[in-house]
Amino acid sequence: MRKTNNLTLFFLFALTQIILSTIIDFGPIYFVSVYPLFLLTRQSVSSTHSNLLWAFAMGFVVDYFTHSLAGINSAAALVMALSQNKILKLAYRKGELDYQSRPGMRELGVQRFVFYVGLSLLIHHVVLVLIESFGFTHLLYNLPRLAVSLIINLLLIILIELGFFYKNRK
Amino acid sequence: MWKKTPFISALTAIMLFIILESVSFMMITNEGIFQQAKIAGLTLRLKTALSSLTLDIEQYLKLRSVNELLHTENLRLLKENERYKALFTSLDTTSVDKSLTSDFSFISAKIIANSTNKLHNFIILNKGKAHGVKRDMGVISSGGIVGIVTAVSTNYSHVISYLNLNQSVSAKIGATGVFGPMVWEGRGIDYATLKEIPIHKEFTIGDTVFTSGFSSIYPPDIPLGTVRKSSEKGGSYHEIQVKLFQDFSSLYNVSIVVNNKKEELDNLTKK
Repeated sequence: MRKTNNLTLFFLFALTQIILSTIIDFGPIYFVSVYPLFLLTRQSVSSTHSNLLWAFAMGFVVDYFTHSLAGINSAAALVMALSQNKILKLAYRKGELDYQSRPGMRELGVQRFVFYVGLSLLIHHVVLVLIESFGFTHLLYNLPRLAVSLIINLLLIILIELGFFYKNRK
Repeated sequence: MWKKTPFISALTAIMLFIILESVSFMMITNEGIFQQAKIAGLTLRLKTALSSLTLDIEQYLKLRSVNELLHTENLRLLKENERYKALFTSLDTTSVDKSLTSDFSFISAKIIANSTNKLHNFIILNKGKAHGVKRDMGVISSGGIVGIVTAVSTNYSHVISYLNLNQSVSAKIGATGVFGPMVWEGRGIDYATLKEIPIHKEFTIGDTVFTSGFSSIYPPDIPLGTVRKSSEKGGSYHEIQVKLFQDFSSLYNVSIVVNNKKEELDNLTKK
């Protein structure tokens, strides 16, 4: 049942990402990235292996169907997936960790959800930007791009979470 | 059946991450020209660093054989030098002291025991009577004099190291040619004292000190060390501290000096 749900969400998020990437074009200052929400909210503390496989699959599909460089999203998503469980454990209060539940805004609370998604998204974006420029030489140009993308994507993710997941679970 | 421990789980997760990340990077390099160039540069740098490291290790492992090769080459040059000296002396009709630039030949040897922490140090070499080694032969190396052979067996020889309170060698200061006995006084393995240098003779700190050749044991002009400091003795002599070139603590290959005219010289002095 969960696998079907995961697969449906996978395709829905991939589709959303592809559509948004095609529609939204703010030039080099911003890149849209909302698919991390799917990877970050699959299940509380799922195995790292499954996190990595889902991240790779999602990154691969996004790279294939958008105009991004092949492999760049999968590489960034993999790094995010590797650190996912550690960050989630930081976000939960001691003794509160429910391994089966979805770590959404309702379960974590707004502050901790923003902390969890924001930090994970930061890792994802930093890796993505570093792979794009392959080093720190273009840091001056990359920092505004990183900051703008991080803020807008975090807002978009919060909106999606509020609009589709937070409400339904009430 | 092995139990899946957290360690194994973490290890497999890391391996999976590396594999998937490698696939991603392969895709990146296949498509992105900029990334391709960057990765190629990075790979080249890594390769260079790695090959430089392996080369360093290889060279380090070969050091002993290279050292032996250098020693052999040094010995060959010493012999050649002696041949030229002999030839030069025979051509130079104005030379007065022909005996001292005469034939010296050398026997290569390795040190198998060496002491440096006593006041009377000794060395044992892996060459003996069977190789032509005799008592009272000098022993030198590329860093200067080493000692004098005192006892010989068929395959080994015992050498009184220069690091010995009784040992003295006739030495001269290169710039002026003024000579005197250079004695080890037990104040450290790096220093010796050049004595009886007349007070009116001038020299400077850093001048090189050589063997004078006024003995049948060591050939002349072997560099021994440099002048470090001096003090006056009795108002008529300089006593000079010499920093030795020879590092007795890391000695391995040496050459035994064979004076081919020693017997002739000894017979002459007996008469």
